[in-house]
Amino acid sequence: MLLFRGNDWTNSLSPEEKQKVTDQWMAWFQRLTNDGKAIAGNPLERESKIVSGKLRVVSDGPFAESKEAIGGYFLLDVAGFDDAVAIARDCPGLPYGVQVEVRPVAGECPIANQLKHEAQFANA
Amino acid sequence: MNTQNQNGYMLLYRTDEWYNRLSQEELQKLINQNKAWFERLTAQGKAKPGRALERTGVTVSGKNGRFVMDGPFAESKEAIGGYLTLEVETIEEAIAIAQSSPGLAYGGSIEVRPMANECPLDVRARELAREEQLVNV
Repeated sequence: MLLFRGNDWTNSLSPEEKQKVTDQWMAWFQRLTNDGKAIAGNPLERESKIVSGKLRVVSDGPFAESKEAIGGYFLLDVAGFDDAVAIARDCPGLPYGVQVEVRPVAGECPIANQLKHEAQFANA
Repeated sequence: MNTQNQNGYMLLYRTDEWYNRLSQEELQKLINQNKAWFERLTAQGKAKPGRALERTGVTVSGKNGRFVMDGPFAESKEAIGGYLTLEVETIEEAIAIAQSSPGLAYGGSIEVRPMANECPLDVRARELAREEQLVNV
């Protein structure tokens, strides 16, 4: 999975530059989709709420405009982690300060995995 | 606030590895609760399967992706541990679903984000073009 981080990088761009990087980004996603390498992707609106803790408190997301905010994602179907990193390096937003987080998708919920580990340990 | 959204919402789970601190019984109970919670939402047509993410990875940055750094994560409370997508029309309903997530009792938080139909870059470029037109009138 590619997580695109950074919500504030477009502020300094001219309309032409914005149009150019948008077109590049769309063409990039289209190409990956055609090659069967991208299976899903979506931009996210800036609006953000955080729900946390036992009391399930709702607060405004601290990330509306920051370098760490997640602006969108691609879900990739590639053979290895290196392939995913190579694709991340093609991201048209990189020259403008976007950071791309590359994360392996888990086959199973990590909590269920943890339980299996413990069970193995107990039986050893 | 624009509370209506036809594109659905994304729940981003932000957690450290709090589940390592639970006993086997607690873990099993939580897994069962989570399963029932998700099955109920799916049966109501409100949730689509999400994915869990491994707690490894890299961050690529810089022109032509010249910087590749390990992490974030393992210990970070802000690290994204997984996501779900919701097919509901208001952020209030998406928040209510996030609040009913069984794991919140143990730690972590859930970020609720409307999914965009269109890239925000496109929208902004259009706005700027319109402003320019107005100036030239």
